[in-house]
Amino acid sequence: MSINKNKGTTLKSQNGSSNKCRRIRAWLHKAVISRFHIDAEWVQNHIANCPRCNRRFVNVAKVNLALSAIKSQPHKLDLLMRANTQAIGVLKHGLREAPKAEKLRAMLPEPKPLEKCGKYAHSTANVAACIAILLLMKIGIFSSMDTFQTQGQKAVEQYYASQLGEDLADEVFSA
Amino acid sequence: MFGKAVNYELIWDFTVSAAVDESQQWILSAMQRHGQGLVTILWRILGNEQDVCDAYQNTFLQLAHYKGRQKPEHMKAYIFRVASNTAVSMLKHRAAEKKRLSTAIVTREGAISPENELDCKYLQETLRCHIAQLPEYLRNVVMLRDLGELSYAQVGRILDISAATARVYRCKAIQLLAVWMGKEREER
Repeated sequence: MSINKNKGTTLKSQNGSSNKCRRIRAWLHKAVISRFHIDAEWVQNHIANCPRCNRRFVNVAKVNLALSAIKSQPHKLDLLMRANTQAIGVLKHGLREAPKAEKLRAMLPEPKPLEKCGKYAHSTANVAACIAILLLMKIGIFSSMDTFQTQGQKAVEQYYASQLGEDLADEVFSA
Repeated sequence: MFGKAVNYELIWDFTVSAAVDESQQWILSAMQRHGQGLVTILWRILGNEQDVCDAYQNTFLQLAHYKGRQKPEHMKAYIFRVASNTAVSMLKHRAAEKKRLSTAIVTREGAISPENELDCKYLQETLRCHIAQLPEYLRNVVMLRDLGELSYAQVGRILDISAATARVYRCKAIQLLAVWMGKEREER
């Protein structure tokens, strides 16, 4: 029993210390981010006035620009088809003649399912928001109507009870 | 008797080839599944359609002859690594050829003027050359993450490293590329 108790206290203290540790880590992260983040004022001032930092930023921006240019460079639509045809051509006879190979020879690039759904995302979000608002309105209106009715009934009952007496009020409202 | 033996041999050959054909159908499945991603990454690395087709063909040829025609355990990792290695060696070869030609014929057009510093084509080619010169462990991450647009987790799985390591490698690679891009500008 005492062992269990000890175990319990040890677990509790461990949980407590891990929570404390988590809190400290979060606090440290917040403190570091607020002081040393790229958007911090002193960092921005330094970058604006330091030629070496300027140069570094220009170079990194250039790399990012080149990467974006590479990514956005389009290729012909039939490239996949041609690549498949060329690759299947060097495979053995059994694979070249397979029905799947025929399909691959005529394959065109397709957008990913997420990209396909992307164009409907905005309208879906709008519809979802409308439904949510309607639901909230419905729930809110009905519940508030119920509350209003019960509260009103109670108030009238109380008024009648005070004016006519409990017995008469009960008779009126039980009928 | 001899005729029978020949017949048995024919039957045996037929069954063996049918089994191999059946077992290698996964090459076509892999092509169907990863083909589009491979073409995209190869196009981004090489920027030339014929080179893309050659590298793609080479990748699937290597896949077909992998360890006695067996299916690799990690198909996606194998295909992407083979493709990127092939593309990089093609890129290196191309850069060497370009260098050889440029030393032989120095033309006025070859000189880079300040106005074409932000020329997209020039920037792309320079970056491609620098990516090819990166150490392998950094290059693989840049290729898979930036050109293949895979997540850090996927990159980590393919390269057998953690996602955090992939993130650090990518950061180092970008810094190195930035230094090289800057040096080139100063040299000019």
